[in-house]
Amino acid sequence: MKTLLVAEYRDGELLNSSYELVAFAEQLGAESAMFLVGSDSALPTYNGTLYLADVGKYGEFNPAVHKQLLLDAIAKEQPDMVVFAHSSYGWDLAPRISLALNVAHVSEVIDIVDGVPVVPACNAKLRRNVKAKTNQMVLTLQGGAFGLEDEPSGSPTVVSVDTDTAAQVEFCGYEEAEAGGVDLSKAEVIVSAGRGIGKPENLAIIEALAKALKGEYGASRPVVDSDWADHSRQVGTTGQTVSPKLYVACGISGAIQHLAGMKKSEFIVAINTDKDAPIGEVADVLIVADLKEFVPAMTEKINNL
Amino acid sequence: MELTREIYWNVGHGVGTLLPMYLLTFAAIAVLVTAFKKRIKIYKQGQSVDRLDQMPVRIANLVKNVLLQSKVTLVKGPGLAHGLFFWGFFLLFLGTCLIVVQADFTDLFFGVKFLKGNFYLLFSVALDLAGLVAVVMLGGLFVRRYFVCPEGLESKKDDAIMHGLLFAILLSGFVIEGARMAVTELGTSLAYWSPVGLVFAKSMAGLGEESLRSVHSLIWWFHLLLVMAFIVLIPFTKFRHIFTTSLNYLFEDLGPTGKLVSIDMEDEDAESFGAAVITDLTWKDIFDTDACTQCKRCQDRCPAHNSDKPLSPMKIINQIGEVAFENSESNLIEACDKDAIWSCTTCLACQEICPASIEHVKKIVDMRRNMVLMEGEFPGEEVMAAMEQTEVNGNPLGLGYASRGDWIEELGIKPLSEDPDVDILYFVGCYASFDKRNIKIAKSFVKLCQAAGIKVGILGKEEKCCGEPMRKMGNEYLYQSLAIENVELIKDYNVKKVVTTCPHCFNTLAKDYRDLDFDVEVESYTVFLEDLLKTGKLKVNAEELHCTYHDSCYMGRHNDIYAAPRSLIKAAGGQIAEMDKNRSEAFCCSAGGGRIMAEEKLGDRINVKRVEMAVETGAPTMISNCPFCLTMFEDGIKGADVEDKLSTKDIAEVLVERLN
Amino acid sequence: MKILVCIKQVPDMESRFKLNSESNWYEGTDLAWRMNEYDEYAVEQAVQLKGQVGDADLTVLSIGPDRVKEMMKKALAMGCDRGAHIADDDYFKKDPFEIASVIAEFAKDQGFDLIFTGMQSQDRGSGQVGVLVAEMLDLPSITTIVDFAFDGGQITVKRELEGGIKSVIKATAPALVTCQLGLNTPRYPTLPNIMKAKRKELLSIPISDLLKVEGKQETAKMYFPEKKGGGLVLEGDVADLTDRLIKILKDKTAVLA
Repeated sequence: MKTLLVAEYRDGELLNSSYELVAFAEQLGAESAMFLVGSDSALPTYNGTLYLADVGKYGEFNPAVHKQLLLDAIAKEQPDMVVFAHSSYGWDLAPRISLALNVAHVSEVIDIVDGVPVVPACNAKLRRNVKAKTNQMVLTLQGGAFGLEDEPSGSPTVVSVDTDTAAQVEFCGYEEAEAGGVDLSKAEVIVSAGRGIGKPENLAIIEALAKALKGEYGASRPVVDSDWADHSRQVGTTGQTVSPKLYVACGISGAIQHLAGMKKSEFIVAINTDKDAPIGEVADVLIVADLKEFVPAMTEKINNL
Repeated sequence: MELTREIYWNVGHGVGTLLPMYLLTFAAIAVLVTAFKKRIKIYKQGQSVDRLDQMPVRIANLVKNVLLQSKVTLVKGPGLAHGLFFWGFFLLFLGTCLIVVQADFTDLFFGVKFLKGNFYLLFSVALDLAGLVAVVMLGGLFVRRYFVCPEGLESKKDDAIMHGLLFAILLSGFVIEGARMAVTELGTSLAYWSPVGLVFAKSMAGLGEESLRSVHSLIWWFHLLLVMAFIVLIPFTKFRHIFTTSLNYLFEDLGPTGKLVSIDMEDEDAESFGAAVITDLTWKDIFDTDACTQCKRCQDRCPAHNSDKPLSPMKIINQIGEVAFENSESNLIEACDKDAIWSCTTCLACQEICPASIEHVKKIVDMRRNMVLMEGEFPGEEVMAAMEQTEVNGNPLGLGYASRGDWIEELGIKPLSEDPDVDILYFVGCYASFDKRNIKIAKSFVKLCQAAGIKVGILGKEEKCCGEPMRKMGNEYLYQSLAIENVELIKDYNVKKVVTTCPHCFNTLAKDYRDLDFDVEVESYTVFLEDLLKTGKLKVNAEELHCTYHDSCYMGRHNDIYAAPRSLIKAAGGQIAEMDKNRSEAFCCSAGGGRIMAEEKLGDRINVKRVEMAVETGAPTMISNCPFCLTMFEDGIKGADVEDKLSTKDIAEVLVERLN
Repeated sequence: MKILVCIKQVPDMESRFKLNSESNWYEGTDLAWRMNEYDEYAVEQAVQLKGQVGDADLTVLSIGPDRVKEMMKKALAMGCDRGAHIADDDYFKKDPFEIASVIAEFAKDQGFDLIFTGMQSQDRGSGQVGVLVAEMLDLPSITTIVDFAFDGGQITVKRELEGGIKSVIKATAPALVTCQLGLNTPRYPTLPNIMKAKRKELLSIPISDLLKVEGKQETAKMYFPEKKGGGLVLEGDVADLTDRLIKILKDKTAVLA
């Protein structure tokens, strides 16, 4: 089995997600080669063939041109699978490739079971095994689904690829994330504080855990009503309805309006001293503990990972 | 000595007096009529609405509220002062009429005098004291307005003119009386029948007859001019309330209380819905604005106003009035301010207390209707999301509709789709169907019914939100689509009786659904359970319970159910420590008017205020009868940081704990 | 100007899902249906564009059984001018390639200046159809947009990238964009527009008229994942609890990877 891994490069740097593709190939026991529109000054630490196109010439985002460059690499490499990260770069480029190759394209793969890609459906409520009808396949991989076991190492054998295809769109640069205002609806991790935090000063431990998990902190209505947290942090039907990958409810008993606003989260952890609190209904894991002890301990462990 | 007095004493009864007097009177009345005709034109800009049906009831309302001042005197203090002033002034008016009738009619044409003898004595003393009462009350109101200055009471030019004019009329009346008595009655026993006049007479006696006569004549004409000014000023000042407020009792909404007018969704020609300009309202809505005396009673009781939100029901009425009378082209919604319009919880405290029978809530909902149906505008995105959730899943929480009936598991009851042969259909409502806290209440109610041998069925996943929060938020279209589905469903099952544990569902099914050909009997669980207790079907053990009770707006003011819940609590052994604001004066929980779907972004938290009132009673348990209230109080108890002092329960929970 | 918006009807994700008898899709009963969230942004953006340029004709297209017409009426009420319903009871068996080819077949001779789609559907979530349609029609396409501006045939959009960063992209119409959360707030249809929508053209076209290709993949099996935490209740010593939770998060979520 041969895989061609499509690495990503943004703002002058190779993205870490590229190494998840390597981990995927390793887990599959497949041979791999890598494709990158990047720069030889920031080569991936990877043992294998790297089809490299010059980002200075072709740009970081240039779908029509990247497509042609990748198709050249595919022609040279003849892989069984062309593998992307399911990312803004991957899901944009992958369909262009699958159509050009006239092959099956399976999106957001979280697992491969007996050679068959598994993908989530309906907000991860269901799973789907997708059978390709073509021999060659294009895949995009869900971020984090195929984690890195070891630090990546090695240096690639570079093969240059070039094209004179014209661009279809014009890339005009990046815009940094806005500071200040928080949009919980887009956060991947939310750690929320309920009245169980006891006093406003304890919001800091919630914030710290949120930061450790690279997420945002939220709050229940009573916390916002008590002016312990800003309105923009309120989770619930009268605040923001959220659906992060992980929701950690700290000291929230689970009033219906709160539950309805966060139920769609993919994974819910509740920390509460009351085993019978309604939040337990929706929680995947209910930690029966005093959050004032548990949350800082958890933060410390995560920071030390 | 004959017990009477000479009418037109000193000023004479000749053409020289009568002609100018009657000319002036007719001129003043002509001005009054012309001015009111202009106002009537403005009222007529509004849509038609029949407020002249059921005349006997209307006339009874008119008499009760004008002559007995029933609504005005609901508020002691200023209300009673107004009432006493009114009765005093009204007596003086009647007295003046009698004088005119005798002097210029019965005596003039038939030589008949009736103001004599004992009747005259009564007449004299009554009028004299009426004047005194009026002056004292006016003085009291003056002190309240200008020295005590209660918060929110705005004094304008109108108020100054009214106080000044009324005082001048009353005082000049006494001066005239005093001057006349000083010349004709001093030293006679008759004088004692005009005690106040006597005081004036004695103090003026030193002037001598000639001066007294000149003073009398001068002040008599001055008094007449003041009265003419009064008549002329009626349509141009708040004096107009003498007519408009009185008539508003006649035009009163005869109920059912708080029931909204349904929009005809089949009307293909309708181009606009709700109210955005003055002509979208009814004539009665415009008339209301003229009946308002700015007494601010509504504002004093408005939960939104009392929690620093931009709503004052009084100002809404005044702003609509301004648009109607001064700027009829302008936009009503902008004039009233959107935030104010969205802040209303439709708790009806304003209408309950309004001494002028003004309908505030309907106007607010009319404006909301325009914003929602014509502009797709809501107080916040969370409300729009709740509307969309309701369209998809039939509940504003957006939970999967298929799980609506899951809570009945293990209770041994079934949805009507499986077993339609039941004693009652329990219309559960969204909160008791989906919210773990409120499911306890649903379960308690079912257990109580089962204990009383009542077979209960539910609609389960077929049930949809009753539509009340959406309707009150102005989304008449969504309300009607939900309502029609529920109505057809319930009718198809041939249900005999519907019982609800949610006062919002109750109010909607029992009143609003009537417009949609729904005629099944609907009862609140409190009334239903009280009946089961009375008939002995349900037996509960009385166990001591120290509690306070919250009258939800939709059980209380909207439906006048105050006794049944209290009798249930009593039967359960509860001793109620009433909050200051109870029964018809109860303070809202903040969730009515569709506000349950909205974030309370402005001002303070209403629910926290109510919880604090409950804490003040010292009772550790706050009993409610409404899932919205309960939800608000659960949050409010945390918000007020009184989790150690107060917990909240529904009546059904209290009863089920005491089942025999 | 001619605009096309492609929308899909999906079950509300709060619905109680059951598997069909073949275990290759979910059962259609007990589901509440709605417009795919991302497609709502697409409709809204298209309607806003129409509002901006004035003279535009906006077609909304959807593939599925008869029930999708209800949802299409909402799009018409939001401001689309006409509807093209591609009737297909077996829509869920079509793969993204087939769906895209049907849309492309429908659109190919119509000269649409702009095509809006959602970035993905909430049920299948492949995120391919928009790009495939554009590739089939040989149009430039930009995915996952969170900002859209149109000026004289030129579009300027912002794409949402990971970590809150956005990239600014320009393209010239005709083009296709796929819409992401944050692009706009879809309007709530007004009552007069709901009434008008009832009288707007809503044509049904059998899918056989447009489907000329074969799929490249199929759902072999659909199933419920193992219970994530399974409503796990953990009690005990804090240090132990943190370790156990970290392990669970590593196993069941991607956030600690």
